[in-house]
Amino acid sequence: MVERRFPRTAASLEAIYAFVREFLATKGVQPEAAFDVDLIVEELFTNMVKYGVGGQPEITIGLDWKAPALTLRLEDFGAPPFDPAQAPAVDIHRPIEERRAGGLGLHLVRRMADRLEYAYENGRSRITVVKRVEA
Amino acid sequence: MLEIRTAADGRIQLVGRFDAAEAESVDRALKAVAGPVFLDCAELDYISSAGLGVLIEAHKRLAAAGHALTLSNLVPRVRNVFGYAGLDRLLKIV
Repeated sequence: MVERRFPRTAASLEAIYAFVREFLATKGVQPEAAFDVDLIVEELFTNMVKYGVGGQPEITIGLDWKAPALTLRLEDFGAPPFDPAQAPAVDIHRPIEERRAGGLGLHLVRRMADRLEYAYENGRSRITVVKRVEA
Repeated sequence: MLEIRTAADGRIQLVGRFDAAEAESVDRALKAVAGPVFLDCAELDYISSAGLGVLIEAHKRLAAAGHALTLSNLVPRVRNVFGYAGLDRLLKIV
């Protein structure tokens, strides 16, 4: 797995997208495939930024490739535990007046990911996502 | 990176990627419009929940003032995100 650490801020997103692209290019994956991966990593990373009170200043992102699937791992130390796989479902059939942004990001992640796992141990949150990608 | 362009006819063009880092700037641009908002998304390459959230709130704010938010020319993969979120049926997309 290739890992890199990113400062806990939304301003890291451009560098994270570049990391994803660089990684996929080394595996010969079409850059168009990065769309879903970018969205999944943005939603999970910004969730850690927003809710990871007390977490360390950097979040670690790891990428691994075993055709045809990409494995994405985010690790956060010191933040309170939060399992995105257990977050309440968003009812997308509600009228617009009752809709809000909250929960939508994890809804999209669950829709796009093939597998979403969470583990918490010794102060470390680890989210692992597996996503099938067309090479 | 996202560029927000205002055309001569008042339409707003979003060019690039509408993510969490850009949500505030789009929110400000939309709040600065007094009447209905027409968003040209032909060159919008990417949107995440942060962008969708800004558009949901803009829709509600405009509707309360009797105006519409209209999105046009969405590229298929961006339109898919609206579909996954159930917003393709709730927002005015032409």
